[in-house]
Amino acid sequence: MVLRNAVVVGGNRTPFTKAGGRFAAASAQDLLTSALDGLVARFGLAGQQMGQVTAGAVLKHTRDFNLTREAVLGSALSPHTPATDVAMACGTGMEAIATIANKIRLGQIDNGIAGGADSASDAPIVVSEALRRAMLTASRAKSVLDRVKAFASLVPADLIPVPPTVNEARTGLSMGESQAITTRKWGITREAQDEMALASHRNLAKAWDAGFFDDLVTGYLGVTRDTVLRADTTADKLAALKPVFGRGDDATMTAGNSTALSDGAALVLMAEEEWAKEHGWPTLARIVDTQLGAADYVTGAEDLLLAPTRAIPVLLERNGLTLDDFDFLEIHEAFASTALATIKALEQGGVGVVDPSKLNVNGSSLAAGHPFAATGARIVASLAKMLAAKGPGSRGLVSICTAGGQGVTAILEGI
Amino acid sequence: MMRTVTTLKELPDVGGLIATGMLTAVGRPGAKAGLPARSLVVEKHHQDAGRLAAYNRVCGFTLRNQVPATWLHVLTFPLHAALMVGRDFPFPLAGVVHVTNHMTLHRPVTLTDELRIAVWSDNLAPHKRGVTFNLIGEIHVGDELAWSGRSNYMAMGATTDAPAPPPAARLSPPEVPASQLWQLPADLGRQYAEVSRDSNPIHLYPLTSRPFGFKRPIIHGMWTHAKALSSLGPRLPQTFSVDVAFTKPLMLPTKATFAADEADGVWRFAVARPGSDAPSLVGRVTDPMP
Repeated sequence: MVLRNAVVVGGNRTPFTKAGGRFAAASAQDLLTSALDGLVARFGLAGQQMGQVTAGAVLKHTRDFNLTREAVLGSALSPHTPATDVAMACGTGMEAIATIANKIRLGQIDNGIAGGADSASDAPIVVSEALRRAMLTASRAKSVLDRVKAFASLVPADLIPVPPTVNEARTGLSMGESQAITTRKWGITREAQDEMALASHRNLAKAWDAGFFDDLVTGYLGVTRDTVLRADTTADKLAALKPVFGRGDDATMTAGNSTALSDGAALVLMAEEEWAKEHGWPTLARIVDTQLGAADYVTGAEDLLLAPTRAIPVLLERNGLTLDDFDFLEIHEAFASTALATIKALEQGGVGVVDPSKLNVNGSSLAAGHPFAATGARIVASLAKMLAAKGPGSRGLVSICTAGGQGVTAILEGI
Repeated sequence: MMRTVTTLKELPDVGGLIATGMLTAVGRPGAKAGLPARSLVVEKHHQDAGRLAAYNRVCGFTLRNQVPATWLHVLTFPLHAALMVGRDFPFPLAGVVHVTNHMTLHRPVTLTDELRIAVWSDNLAPHKRGVTFNLIGEIHVGDELAWSGRSNYMAMGATTDAPAPPPAARLSPPEVPASQLWQLPADLGRQYAEVSRDSNPIHLYPLTSRPFGFKRPIIHGMWTHAKALSSLGPRLPQTFSVDVAFTKPLMLPTKATFAADEADGVWRFAVARPGSDAPSLVGRVTDPMP
């Protein structure tokens, strides 16, 4: 069977802001629709029936069960454009891109849009499990007395709303606490983490100043630049921050070398290569292949956020490539120590050595922020643009770790 | 007619204005005194994202860079209220009802645009049930007219010697079945009052609506108008004119149906109580009128 080529045509995202900041009033739905508005405007898609739009959000209200379809219906795209939601924690956006790319390659669709949105400001708050069960029992009750009885076992604490957490269901540890274990286990130093954070801010600031994001970002609610970005941060400032994850003297993870909770949305426009050329659409890079991986982290045998190190060797072998064959490596900075431990594990596992000069050259999540489901499309749109500039045959690798001990990785090739 | 222009630094606080309007209801000069020859202007209004987000949530709009046309009406409302509570205004605030509304979005307006907001009143005219008049609003972005609105109000039972206007064309509801069913909760009037600043007591609680002849509060006509436009969603063009007639109050809580149909680039729509033949709101969206 002859597969077709799925190419990245372009992308659009909102600027990313710190949670509780300038996008605090916007829902994930608002953010996703606005990113779609910008993409529709940039590529003249008003009235067009797209093959498929797929996106998602990690912090998701139950009312948003059709998040992506609702965004399509609120946009200028033809209402005949089908849409689906996907969920893979922080890998949501990248997995959405993989889904659309695969459908394009199989010939099921000629074009599509993929990405995601998250609002840590507008996160759903739920009632306690005891109250939820009591309410369900009461709604099934036949008599008033039974309805009252359903609530009899509740104690006052059950009435307190439960804010969302990013704690792992099976370990009870927060993402930061899990990563603190990994950080110590792999011997990632404070200095190395701060150095990576500094490079992320410097690289992202340089890219903004050079106009790199002019055709990748559309301002939203008066915000025109990522607000997590601290262009003026220094090694001294980062070194002065107190650790927030881990315990004792060797706690090394600070707010500076961990990603901030953030709000934003990002989307990538994709098409079949020949179809794109026929329709005069830009063709930046091919989505060559993608691979998921999963780690055995529940009892501590492996690390929660290092699952990409299981996916990358499979991906490289299937495509007959080594790490040296890539011009750009995009390793999502969930925490500086995640990216550093990933690099160390690849090295120790004999997969290859990461050349720091190819790593996250236009900044990554430490500086840009990380609205969970939006990160995949942020990375892929930027990487595709870098590969198009680098020239035909240039290659980029994407690696994103996710909650639940999973990872999603991809190979892109410049056109 | 020359109007005196009063420039205000910011949009006035409507809550206080409505209270003043209620207290100064008696002793109004009546229709024969004519409408005040005044216009009120705010030169530089900066829109508030949090307020817009709250308005959008209540009315069903997505929070995006471009703001809804009905939001621009909401921005003119404090100046309308200020005009009407002035002692030179012929009718008491509580005695007037919003009958029809016309607005034109001449160009898209974004949240970050700095707005010049101006309002005045005109066109006092007799009506079989009272006297009607217009509250006019205009919003400029820079030198460009971005939005204009005309709210036609009636002072019930008032009389005037002013000449009768030619009869206005009546809006007709679309001849299609309703496609949407809205739930209007009991507190919707309070929700909309919060985001629109229009806290007229007929919209708030049964206790506050009863003195005005409504057993239960009625929803603001401009909420129904806004909800109708948000329900059309991206079918609304970038620029347009919209006319609505508020034909029957909707008492809260209630359900309401929405029907809409497009022909030759004109959208006609109607909101009604389920099973009712008499719509509560009838509207029409056309290309922008000059």
